[in-house]
This record gives sequence, structure tokens and C-alpha cells, in this order.
Amino acid sequence: MLVRSIRSDDLEALLQLARSTGVGVTTLPANEDRLRRRIDASLASALAAPKPENSSFVFVLEDPGKEVVGICGIEGAVGLSEPWYNYRVGLSVHASRELAIYRQLQTLFLTNDLTGSAELCSLFLRPDFRHSNNGSLLSKSRFLFLAEFPERFSPRVIAEMRGVSDENGRSPFWEGLGRHFFKMDFSEADYLTGIGQKSFIAELMPQHPVYTSFLTDEAQAVIGQVHENTRPALAMLNGEGLRYNGYVDIFDAGPTLECALVDIRAVRDSHCYAVEPVQAAKGDKLYLISNRRLDDFRVCLATTAPTGGGLPLLPEILRQLDLKPGDSVRAVPLSSRERAGDITI
Amino acid sequence: MLLFRPSRFSDLPAVERIAALSPIGVTSLPANRDTLYRKIQASVDSLGADVSFHGEESYFFVLEDTSKGEIVGVSGIVASAGFNEPFYSYRNETIIHASPGLGIHNKIHALSLCHDLTGNTLLASFFILKPYQFTQYSDLLSRARFLFIANFPERFAESVVSEMVGVSDANGHSPFWDSVGRRFFGMDYQEAELYCGVKGRKFISELMPQHPIYVPLLSDAAQAAIGQVSPDSAVPFDVLLREGFETENYVDIFDGGPTVHARTQNIHSILQSRLVSAHRGHQRPGTPHLIANCRCEFRATVAELTLPRGDDITLDPKLADALEIADGDHVRIVPL
Repeated sequence: MLVRSIRSDDLEALLQLARSTGVGVTTLPANEDRLRRRIDASLASALAAPKPENSSFVFVLEDPGKEVVGICGIEGAVGLSEPWYNYRVGLSVHASRELAIYRQLQTLFLTNDLTGSAELCSLFLRPDFRHSNNGSLLSKSRFLFLAEFPERFSPRVIAEMRGVSDENGRSPFWEGLGRHFFKMDFSEADYLTGIGQKSFIAELMPQHPVYTSFLTDEAQAVIGQVHENTRPALAMLNGEGLRYNGYVDIFDAGPTLECALVDIRAVRDSHCYAVEPVQAAKGDKLYLISNRRLDDFRVCLATTAPTGGGLPLLPEILRQLDLKPGDSVRAVPLSSRERAGDITI
Repeated sequence: MLLFRPSRFSDLPAVERIAALSPIGVTSLPANRDTLYRKIQASVDSLGADVSFHGEESYFFVLEDTSKGEIVGVSGIVASAGFNEPFYSYRNETIIHASPGLGIHNKIHALSLCHDLTGNTLLASFFILKPYQFTQYSDLLSRARFLFIANFPERFAESVVSEMVGVSDANGHSPFWDSVGRRFFGMDYQEAELYCGVKGRKFISELMPQHPIYVPLLSDAAQAAIGQVSPDSAVPFDVLLREGFETENYVDIFDGGPTVHARTQNIHSILQSRLVSAHRGHQRPGTPHLIANCRCEFRATVAELTLPRGDDITLDPKLADALEIADGDHVRIVPL
């Protein structure tokens, strides 16, 4: 399995993939024009001056048969051409000493606080490939890109997690709040968001802070909660140091995770190594390995362990990453946690 | 004869009985002897003071059945709402959420906590015993205040407001309170009203939401209650609507009842009233009118009169005596 920079000829495969996503992956709508623009933007990003506002990178995951089965992206800085909205989950204390009353009330403030952050986005993996560390490879490959080209990204990295919705695409938070302000379904709002209409919709949302106690119990219960299918992704990003800090999506109240770029585990712990071609695998730990290229970035997984001379890699890996003699790689252990069985003497 | 006059200390026991019968929403009339005593005290002091601009004065009147010496109703005027403590209302705002591109045009109502009505003259403490409700005497008890205001415009503001009791169910539950106030106070409506009447309204600022409340987020029952008047306030509401008060813009922060308001000079009883000189003699019969003297020792009643063409009117000596006027004194008259 290989993660690589997207190419012009990936459009058809991407469309197929987009059609199979559920509600909630707002950055991967099944809209040809939109996808075409995303591909073009990614290709242009590699050629542009290294500034966050120029970066909109997309990567795909292909199986050994070269079929595209997953996608992921990174935006250098969000909200610079149209407003970026989040609700900040705040607290309002109402107390009267004389009446011996003390109450804490949760509030939602519409903010643009996260404007300018780099965003991990568009993650989607075809369901039949959700095994064998494919999800981790796809998602975490981006951290090696961030580590390699930090100047192309904002120092703060965010990831919006899909909020709770049922099998019919009904979001309790949307029903409790958004629907009062628009007469449209969540899935429609979600689609409009995906095709770049989110700020339009946001401008129709309540501009004044909302006390969550005015919402239905179901709506209150899902604030900051992820969709069931997103729990593994949440756990993985938490493991990398991304944390929920009280910002949620304005439509489905899914949490937005944040972390300083340099503090992400896979960025911080990654190192560059000289390639040490070997014929038999050495080591027993799974590593994410990238070829460090901007225009044809590639990442795959390999079992290895650094030696004094570099990182031992099999010919198959060198071929996958398109590495030539003398090239170096950037690598980091796939997982931050070492299980007892992994430790060798 | 039913006579409208300023309250005296000797009225206290009777006023306390009346207050005990008044509905809980009339916060300015708690059945609390100390509070009622202070109301009478304030009224006596205000009437005795030399006032050139409206300030902290308040006036408290009673309606007395002179044949029995019984008090059958009370009403009051606060010269400046919120003079000593904040005067809170919800302003009913309309926010348009529109996007031509998306084909959306929504009118959203929001309630904003405000002090807009601070400084306006406030009609308060209105209550009349049941047999007199919806009679000319409930008009007397409410509208005689306007004749008083017309006599002493310097004592009052340019706008007059009054809070109508909002709707609640048979158990005293206010749907508006349950959807709004309860979330911030964590107590029953009756309890909150009691605190307000006795302890003042200052704690509202500590507890009530400072941000506007989006009406569509409230329960259906609470939304329906906004601007609705309880049967308990039907009598004063009916009078004030006929006097030209408007109902649309402000509601009570506790029960959602309307706070009505009018420009003082446009209140019908003020606009249509006339000053004439009174003399004792044979009174020509006619139609019911409100008639009042022009003194701080204010007296008003209902009498069947014919308005004179000129500036003089002849009154039955009994009526003139009840109004405590000397021959040649001015009286203010308006058709009932």
C-alpha cells in the first residue's frame, strides 16, 4: 500500500471514491468540478512559493493493483478567502450570593478563532480497506509531509471530526439548532458546505451566543462528540497529540482537534536517515517512511529499525518510494505506543 | 360613591387584605406589610415634596367605597421606572436571516434583555376586587392616574409603560418561565416573583442571560406565551389598550407578558381631558365622566355630567365636597 501525491489522471478514481462516502466528509463531495479544482490546487501547491496560504495538498492511497482506495489532504491555512466558522463551547456562570444560587451554563459562541490554522482534511478510506494499518498509514502519512515542509503550513494544525448523525444522515445537533434557522436537511447543508457554500450558510446561523440549555437533550448530548465510525480516527489523532479544546463544527457539533505542528508526535519524533539497502528485513517495528519529495511525495509502511549506517530497507520499499542510490528518507515509528510483545532485547 | 384618592397610613390593613388577593404576577403588590407600608410612605412623601422633575417619587392610590368606608382597589404610579434599581425588559427583536443565493429568507425573533424603558413612568400595583372588574370603576381606578399625570406633567416622564401579567397554567406554572427563567434561576416562577417583589430586581442582572434568546429555540408553549396576557391582567390591559397603549415591542422577562407603552401626551384620557372651573349648584344630568380635582390631595370619581360649552361647570355640592374643591377651583374632566 502506498500513499502518494495526487495526479491529474486520478479524477475518475476520485469521483468513484467520493460517491461511496457517507454524509459528513464535507471536503470530498461527489462533484466533478470541485474535485477537478482540488486536484489542480494540489498540483499548483507544489509549484507555489512555500507559504501556508498557497498550500492545498491532496494525497491518495493506492493498493498494490494501483487502484485508488483512499484520500487525505492538508490545507496550509484555512479561512483566508472566506470566513472559517466554529462554535466555541464556553461557560457562563450565573450566581447570586443573596439568593444562594450558582449555575453554570454552557454557551456556544460563533467564532473565527481558528482562522489561519493548517487543516488535516478529506480523510476517506474505502470500507473494505479499513484494516492492516491502512487507516493509520493514510492519515499519518501527512505528518511526515508536515515535518518535511513546515514552512508551507501554519504552526497550528487542526482536524475537524465528523459529528454524530444517524443512518439517515439526521444530525441531532442540526435538528436542535440549525434547522430553526434554515428549512433544510443536514445532508443538504453538509453538501453545500462541501461545494464551498459553508460561509453562506454560516452567515445565516445565529450570530449571538446560544445557551445550550435551550437546545434539545439530544442536541446537547452530541456537542463535541464524534460519529461512531470516527472513533478510531479520533483515538489515533489523540495518540498523536491532537486535542479537543472546545471548538466544534457549527452544523453537527463534531469536535475540532488542535495541536502545534511541532508537537505532533509523528512530526516531533521523525528523523531523516540514509537509505541502507538490504535483502532481508531487519528490526521488528513498523515505520512510516517517506521519500521527502515535494512534487511526488510517497509514504509507505515497512518493518525496520535504524542502524548506525541508516535505515535498512528492502528493494521493494525502495521501488515503491522511487528511491535512488544516495537518497535519504524521513521515518517515524507508526505508533507512539509500544506493546510489550514489540520489545526485543 | 367610589372615590379615588392617595393612600394613607390608616389604609394599611385594608391594602394588605387586597394585596393578599392579588395574583402572583403583580410583583409590585406583595402581601408583605413592610413593603406595603413603604409604598404608602413613599407616596405620602412624594405628594408632600416639591417636584420640578420626575425622579424617585412613587404614588399609591386607593379606590374607596365611601358609603361603607371600604377599600375595593389599589393602583400606583412610579414616576421613573428603574430609578433605584435596574428596570429590565425583553426587547422583541426581529433578525432577518437571508441569502438570495440559497433562496432563504427567514425572519427570526430574538429577545434581548434591555433597560430601554428605564426612566419611563410606570403604572403599577393595579388590582380591583372582582365585583368591580370591567365596570366603570375599574376604568376609574386605572384612568384617574392619567388625570393626575395631566395635572402634574412635571412629575412624570414623556412615556408611560405598564407590565401586564403573562399567562400561566392552573398550577401557577408559567410556560415562558419554565423555558427561560428556570434555566438561569433554578427555581419556581412563584418563588422568583416573590423574591422580586420583596428583595428588588437587582439580582436579575446576576442571573439572567446577557445574550439575546432566540425564540425558535424555546418550547412551543413558551413561544405561544410571548406577549399574551393572563386573565388576571385582562382588566388593566383592556383599559390601557383603549387608552392607546402599544403592545408589540417589549415583554416581561419572567412570564413573557407584554409591557405596554405610550407617549404620555397621547394617552387618550390625557389628550381628551379638559380643565374647567367648578361651582356648587344644580348639576345638569348627562353621561358618565371621570372628574378630578387638581391638587396633590387628589380626588377623582365617576359622575354623570354634561360638559359645558364654556369654562365653567356646576356641580352637585355633594360631588364638590367629595372632590374637596372650593368654588372656582379647577377640575379635570374626561368622558368615561
